[in-house]
Amino acid sequence: MRRLRTVSWQLAGSALALSMVGLVLISSAELTAGYVSRQSLWIALGVVVMLIAALVDYTVLLRYAIWIYVVAVLALAAVTFFGHEAGGARSWIGIGGLGGQPSDFCKIATVLLLARRLADSQAPVPPRGGLWVTVAICALPVLLIARQPDLGGALMFVPALAAMTAVTGVSLRSALVAVGAALALVAGLWVFALQDYQKERVLSYFQPQADPLGSGYQVRQSRIAVGSGQALGKGYGEGTQSKLRFLPTPHTDFVFAVLAEEYGFAGVTLVMALFLLYLGNGVRIALAARDPAGLLLVVGLLAFLAGYVLYNTAMVVGLLPITGIPLPFLSYGGSFMLFCCAATGLMIGLDLRRFVNI
Amino acid sequence: MNLESHGHEHSADRVLLLMATRLKWFVGSLAVVFAVILGSYWYYQVVRGEHYGRLAENNRLRILRLDAPRGLIYDHTGQLLAENTPTFRLLIVRGRSADLEKSLAFAADILGSDRKDLERSLERYRGVGSDVPVLLAEELELNQVARFEVSILEHPEFEVSASRRRLYRHSDQTAHLLGYLSEPTAAEQDRDPTLAAADMIGRSGVERLRDRTLRGTAGERTVVVDSRGRLVSEEDVDRLDAVPGESVHLTVDLRLQQEAQSLLGDKVGAIVALDPRDGAVRAMASSPSFDPNGFAGRLNQEDWERIVGAPNRPLQNRAIQNTYPPGSVFKIVMAVAGLAEGLIHPEERIWCGGATRIYDRRWRCWQSRGHGRLNLRGALQHSCDIYFYRQGMKMGIETIARHARRLGLGEPTGIEFPSEREGLVPDAEWSLTSRGLPWYPGETVSVAIGQGPLLTTPLQVAVMTAAVANGGFLVRPYVLAGGARRPEPIGLDAGVVAFVADALANVVETGTGRSARNPVVTVAGKTGTAQVIAQATWTRSEDLPSEHADHAWFTSYAPVAAPELVVVVFLEHGGRGSEVAAPLARRMHESYFGASPQT
Repeated sequence: MRRLRTVSWQLAGSALALSMVGLVLISSAELTAGYVSRQSLWIALGVVVMLIAALVDYTVLLRYAIWIYVVAVLALAAVTFFGHEAGGARSWIGIGGLGGQPSDFCKIATVLLLARRLADSQAPVPPRGGLWVTVAICALPVLLIARQPDLGGALMFVPALAAMTAVTGVSLRSALVAVGAALALVAGLWVFALQDYQKERVLSYFQPQADPLGSGYQVRQSRIAVGSGQALGKGYGEGTQSKLRFLPTPHTDFVFAVLAEEYGFAGVTLVMALFLLYLGNGVRIALAARDPAGLLLVVGLLAFLAGYVLYNTAMVVGLLPITGIPLPFLSYGGSFMLFCCAATGLMIGLDLRRFVNI
Repeated sequence: MNLESHGHEHSADRVLLLMATRLKWFVGSLAVVFAVILGSYWYYQVVRGEHYGRLAENNRLRILRLDAPRGLIYDHTGQLLAENTPTFRLLIVRGRSADLEKSLAFAADILGSDRKDLERSLERYRGVGSDVPVLLAEELELNQVARFEVSILEHPEFEVSASRRRLYRHSDQTAHLLGYLSEPTAAEQDRDPTLAAADMIGRSGVERLRDRTLRGTAGERTVVVDSRGRLVSEEDVDRLDAVPGESVHLTVDLRLQQEAQSLLGDKVGAIVALDPRDGAVRAMASSPSFDPNGFAGRLNQEDWERIVGAPNRPLQNRAIQNTYPPGSVFKIVMAVAGLAEGLIHPEERIWCGGATRIYDRRWRCWQSRGHGRLNLRGALQHSCDIYFYRQGMKMGIETIARHARRLGLGEPTGIEFPSEREGLVPDAEWSLTSRGLPWYPGETVSVAIGQGPLLTTPLQVAVMTAAVANGGFLVRPYVLAGGARRPEPIGLDAGVVAFVADALANVVETGTGRSARNPVVTVAGKTGTAQVIAQATWTRSEDLPSEHADHAWFTSYAPVAAPELVVVVFLEHGGRGSEVAAPLARRMHESYFGASPQT
């Protein structure tokens, strides 16, 4: 019981600490007033969601995973084809004053269904369809999200799928099939789903000097922000790259560049340590899970979050192409914050129930 | 719980164990990825941190140039000849334009010009970096300025800057003297790093001569800008004020210069006026002229081609940049040479019957009736050709050439302008080295009346005349105030000079130069009518004009007793010097001595 408390507290604590760091960075960027208070509101709401998610019995969620998935995908399809257009992408559903992204909801729904199905596949009598159905479960929301078009969001399903299948255990043949399917998916996205500007962005990553004012410009400016932070950073509010708007979206996707510029390698290391603390505790919860489905659920959620963290930090330093991928807990934005909190809550709930027998 | 479920539970534990092992492997590989990313941050922030720190500074700091106002140019009475006037200039930063064609179309619409013209004008900047603001248009009107200002968000590539434009108040009347400005070429900017693309440098005349002095030194402002290049605050990080260019004062008399240019009108030719005492140039006009203000505002391609390609070459300063046979004006040199060498006795008389036979050829006097028996004074007074043919034969080309050179012909006068031509005083050696031909004695006869291969600039004729006017000193003409050099004595006997000077006074009093006579001041002078057709063989074919009318010359000075002003009038294909050139010289002297008498 003592260990349970420590693990969950550390998980929730590191999430909250990261959110606070995010608040400081958002306020430092000194954008239009209101970002800080709105983000505070999202964090508060996130805590409530986290509590609710921790209280819900995950086995119940797993039982109805198929229906949750169906609802989520329908909602996603609805916004994809009829939703508001915001920043060139259809993704927001207006709910009163707040906006919610079905794609974030869909992530949890997909992980739930995948966990259920992959766990069942280990049973003496596995369900029919094999790996193909597993891939299809993932592919449906991916294609819908890519159509919005939100390339980054779609891409982030890949690590979750990979981690969950890998942990479940796949034969070499199945692994090859999975890789082949992933490549086919990427090729399909490139040909059918990607807009020209998205392709340009990806291409410019490979030669950022070719187009210094286009997408290459963002890579370059972000790297300058990171590098100029040096070891100890320029200090709160002193980041010229972010304050003078050389950085694109300093409060959302590039919030980590603000951190790197103002707090240097020291700040980067500290936040990375917090993420590692968070993920490490998540892994401990997974290892203590009482059933394969629960373990897979935690792995899926962790892989999602880790994918975002790794991609975002790699993108900010220029290791990966720029695409709209926020940093969990730190980036400004409500829907994604709620997703991260819900995931955290589900993991805590799992930890709470690890000794409970049927 | 039945057996099946027991078995299930057992296998579930086994599955869990396997999964936990795989998860640990997965976590391990994840840790490697984390380490790689953290390593990159370490590399960029700690290893390369200083480099990126500098890049960030370069990003936010922008150095703005503070243009130095160009120095003013004054005439010797303190009248302003060249000044600066405020203007709005349109600059474009090509690198900020998403679609240059659209940007130019937008600008052309506001400016009311053609996009193609703007495109052409941008070609000048091909070697200039695309992040450097370059000039697109000048003299914007206020409503145009406003339209560019309000569209700054859609068109951040445009910048409007309040600036100064060179203004030549007297336009074409001082064009050759002052010159004009244009932008530096890429090569010039390489050579002189203080030059910016939108700068102006002197291309000819005084503007070129004193370019460094007039230009001054540009200053710099270092300011903080945001990613759109907008000023973050009005406070400067660093500031170095510009040093304005120094003013330049000329020896030229604006009133006389204007008179000279307007006397030339639409004739082709040049008028030079200088002070024979020290060589100070009071007027130097060349026609046709051009409007240098058009240059300062950047000509478009068509206008430039129109000026450069004009048949009469308006850019050429005919006073110093073109050479002509001097005709009878050269008889001054003949008289001086003959007297100084003792080869001409002033009272020796020669018969002129309108024509004579020399070296088996018939030579004619301009006066076909003949002049009768003439001594030197009479021969100068009536510009008798026969007299000087005979004297020339006697003197020989070497003597003539030596004296011509002593009087400043055949070499640059030394005026400050580097583009001056040196003319030609031929002799036997020249003939061999340049033509590969021996000198023919018959050519000496031609040279004796200022024909043959002999070539002079109007300014050289003025210097030659000044030597007679000042009693035998060679002056170096100058246009920059304070540039006087001590006149060099030629080593002429005072009596020789006095005799020739007296004879030149007679030319105006009763001879061929009568139309220079005036009630204001006594004038001495010599007419000249140079034949062009005989000259054709020595002239490059493209310089050969379609009509072969004579060149008209009149060189003069006044007042006779104590000369203060030499005036040379030259009219290309103008006709007879006595009829067309002398009257203009008269007007020049009247203007100079009449309206503001010199003390």
